[in-house]
Amino acid sequence: MVDWVNLMVPFAYLGVLIGSLATFSSLYRKRKARKATSLEAWFPAHLQRDVYFSLLHLDPPAPASSKEKKPPAIPEGVLKAALLRRATEDIKRVMTLRSQKQALSMLLQRGSVGDDLWQRFLRAEKEMEDEVRDVVAEANAYVPNWGQTIFQSANEMMNNVIYRDRMEFHQSKVDEERQWWDKKKATIQDGFMKELDAESATAAPGASTTSSSSSPLLKKLDATATPTTGSSTPAVKTPDSSRVASSVPGSDDDAVLVEADEQAGSKKKKKGKK
Amino acid sequence: MATSDINIFNQHALHLDPTSKAISLHPSTTTHQSTTQTAAINAELQQLNLLHRALISLDPPNIPPPPLPVNPKRSAQINKLRDSANTAFRKDNYAEAARLYTYAIDMAMGRPGWEPVTLTREELAGLYANRAQAYMSQQAWPEGMLDAKCSVESKPMGNVKAWWRAARCLAEMGRWEESKNLIERGLEIEGKNSEGAKDLSTLLEEVEAGIKRSST
Repeated sequence: MVDWVNLMVPFAYLGVLIGSLATFSSLYRKRKARKATSLEAWFPAHLQRDVYFSLLHLDPPAPASSKEKKPPAIPEGVLKAALLRRATEDIKRVMTLRSQKQALSMLLQRGSVGDDLWQRFLRAEKEMEDEVRDVVAEANAYVPNWGQTIFQSANEMMNNVIYRDRMEFHQSKVDEERQWWDKKKATIQDGFMKELDAESATAAPGASTTSSSSSPLLKKLDATATPTTGSSTPAVKTPDSSRVASSVPGSDDDAVLVEADEQAGSKKKKKGKK
Repeated sequence: MATSDINIFNQHALHLDPTSKAISLHPSTTTHQSTTQTAAINAELQQLNLLHRALISLDPPNIPPPPLPVNPKRSAQINKLRDSANTAFRKDNYAEAARLYTYAIDMAMGRPGWEPVTLTREELAGLYANRAQAYMSQQAWPEGMLDAKCSVESKPMGNVKAWWRAARCLAEMGRWEESKNLIERGLEIEGKNSEGAKDLSTLLEEVEAGIKRSST
């Protein structure tokens, strides 16, 4: 007679053991999978792709009561344009991934970054691979062999946008620069007037220093009045240098002279404004 | 695992204008999205509509042709404009020349995006350099400086003239330090033994003299 009760014990033991192991394993795997999916995506949402698919899935508005005219489907041109936009964004992302890969693997080797980051990166890479393949397939579906050139076109489009932005950035500063220069030109001219006034006002002794410096200034005034090249450069510069000199404490005599000049000049300026 | 599922996407409620075929965001959906998101989508849709219009103007099958060969029509127009601008410049009609160069630049800027960027760069480098010269002849230093900088950025190598013009404009405005930096960068890129490096070096001496004068 077999002792059923005693025989059950090992089986029950095995059952409990395997059952608990299975539960643990499935729980663990589930949690790991959840963690993997909850990892932050490498890139933000792919707007162009969303737009493209939204267009594809855009249901034509419910046909009006009269059935004679079907509401227009999305024209193919729009879809092509959307696909091209999508390809452009893909190029950007692929380039980013490519440039980041080396640095990231280096960091990973040194242990500077966690495994999570690497996982995210690998996932992004795989996604982009699928994405590119999908775009090529779609392009070929519209026009045979478009898939071979769509990324070339997209690449040029991206580069053109970058280049044009740079140019626009430069050209957008025109107004600012113009204003700055107008203001500066005005101060330079004021400087001339001051120097001229000062020269006529201080014909006093000790003015030997000023007279020596003001004679080139006279020439300079001529230089700005008539368009010149080359030789005008040093002349135009001088007002600036004289201003710098006035702020830097040089010899005492000079400083006093400059101060006097400035006072005379400011008086004249006020008169001039009235 | 659904980690790389290609079929997942965020649907946006889009709307097709039946007459103009322009795509826009459906007005009723703007409530449950943040304003920045909506703005981004709208900007994207605007770009999309522009591109769509550009594609419509192409020959069937309405896809951008491969980058090469280039459609010669636009290049011819740009060249024509440049030539007339050059003649105006030679006749000392600088304002007119600058205006014509501006047209040519706009035309070159208007090249469709899928045409090779290197070509655009090459063209615009020349046009900007020439317009800089036209502005400089009118003593419009700020405009000349910016144009020359654009030219230099479009084509840093083999563009000594543009380097020189940018530096000259800066020097004329009394911005010696900037001018000096620019010349040094230009010399670095062009190489000291290149054709126009001599001009740059003489300008550099002048600028250094200017710096000395302004600091004494």
